[in-house]
Amino acid sequence: MFYHHLRNELWKLFGKKRTYIGFGMFLVAQNAMLVAFRYTHWQTQMTNLLEGNGYLAQEYVSALTVALVMLIPQILLLMPLYVSLVGGDLVAKEVEDGTLRMILSRPISRFRLLLVKWVAGGIFSALLVLVLGGTALGFARMWFPWKGMFVFVPGQVFNVLSADEGIKLYMWSHVFMTLNATVILGIAFMFSCFNMKPAAATILALSLLFANLVMEGIPYFEEYHEYLLTYHFRTWHNVYASPIPWSQLTQSVCVLLAFNVTTFLIGASAFQARDIKS
Amino acid sequence: MIQLKHLSKKFGERLVVDDFTLDVPAGEIYGLLGHNGAGKSTTIGMMLGQVWPTSGDVRVCGYDVTAHRRLALLKVGAIFESPAFYDYLSARRNLEILSAYTTPTPRKRIDEIIAWVGLKGRENSNVRTYSHGMRARLALAQALLPYPKLLILDEPSDGLDPEGIHEMRLTIQRLQREMGLTILLSSHFLTEVEQLCTRIAVLKQGRMVFEGPLSATKRRESWTRIKTGDFGLAVKELRQAQLITHERDGNLIALSPGAGPDQVVRLLVERGISVHEIAPMEETLEEFYLSLMNGGDGFK
Repeated sequence: MFYHHLRNELWKLFGKKRTYIGFGMFLVAQNAMLVAFRYTHWQTQMTNLLEGNGYLAQEYVSALTVALVMLIPQILLLMPLYVSLVGGDLVAKEVEDGTLRMILSRPISRFRLLLVKWVAGGIFSALLVLVLGGTALGFARMWFPWKGMFVFVPGQVFNVLSADEGIKLYMWSHVFMTLNATVILGIAFMFSCFNMKPAAATILALSLLFANLVMEGIPYFEEYHEYLLTYHFRTWHNVYASPIPWSQLTQSVCVLLAFNVTTFLIGASAFQARDIKS
Repeated sequence: MIQLKHLSKKFGERLVVDDFTLDVPAGEIYGLLGHNGAGKSTTIGMMLGQVWPTSGDVRVCGYDVTAHRRLALLKVGAIFESPAFYDYLSARRNLEILSAYTTPTPRKRIDEIIAWVGLKGRENSNVRTYSHGMRARLALAQALLPYPKLLILDEPSDGLDPEGIHEMRLTIQRLQREMGLTILLSSHFLTEVEQLCTRIAVLKQGRMVFEGPLSATKRRESWTRIKTGDFGLAVKELRQAQLITHERDGNLIALSPGAGPDQVVRLLVERGISVHEIAPMEETLEEFYLSLMNGGDGFK
């Protein structure tokens, strides 16, 4: 039964055009960034940075390096936008359209319905991240050679890797990016379970995220970084560090998983208590 | 089939359903009437476990809806006013999705129901291309898929054209006749209720103001309509013979206790007054309903 319900949710989700907005926008953004990398001073700046640290720069201006540089801002800014758009729709749009009333005239429990919806949202999040990573690498490979990987995240990671090692870590980092995506989806989903419009759920989720981002940038909150979501979202950068800070990585994963469970339970409790009316 | 006991629902401080007790027996077409905001849809919501009662019990198919919602709704189909579907998906896909929430339905059963409601040939079109009438048929199809014993219809004819309303009425009769379903019908169309239902309950501002068989809404003996060559003369003769007690509107008479229309006709013909028509005047459901809404007992 769970399989049938999940299949239904995926039909509903991937049958809608707006589900694909995120995929389309990523393709546009990635190509715009590639053009910028190719025809601006970016390459010179990176060469200077590498050579200043004693590396042979030409070995590391590669498809893997460029793909990762493209991913960092997209995962931080664009991905939350599209994931929360879908998360905000999952319940609230069905209430708004009246289809939820049709579903809830059938013998399915509200908790099960929400669980299926959340899992479908999780699958969407994973797919979005995988497509994002795949196309970033694919497009970068069309413009840049397949060589070693240079990873530089100010204050967090500075590393050079062989192409083989780089691609492994590149794939591994997608697991953590997917976790980030599910957390954002979970926040929008939670708001979506309350009595509000889908757009309001999306905006609230994004507002929460940006509030975290802003607070993280304020020096006063430096000692409270570990309480901010965006700090834990950056854990995927640590995959590229040498040595990998496992304790920090594990802590962030636990925090993000716990956040997922918490938002789901809050949403499910609110939804369970609600009256569904036309 | 449906039992409500002292059911109440408050939204905030507003009492929407007030101490509603109802018993819908199996095999009936039961009408639920009331003005907008009377609490009909909220009551239906409570029957389907979509709205939580503030107090009281709701039992459907023998199960308490609040405690055993899954068992209670296993053999229930429902249609709401302006039925909503996934417009970007085909009718068949919509049926597959909605029926799976009860139990996965074989393709053959879906084909049967599509044919039964007359959507064969259009089942693979997106629902956004459907007319209002076709959507109503699709709504019926999704309600019938889980082999229901009970159908809950909330304003099923809302928004349909006269042909659509007629078709829906015939379909409801057919459902009861061919499948023996119990049907709870909430409707604004009093003629529809009059033609379909065997019992009705009337809600006014959340309170039940009438419950009983449809026949109880018609008080046949109160007035008799008569068409004669001279109504004034006829009344004078009938009064002298003490066959009537009252007259009104130039064509209505109230017969005296024990007097029958045959005596009236015989007397008038003997007195040379032609009688073109005589018939007991039945109060329509509309008159009965309006009287209830205006604070009366349903009768003039």
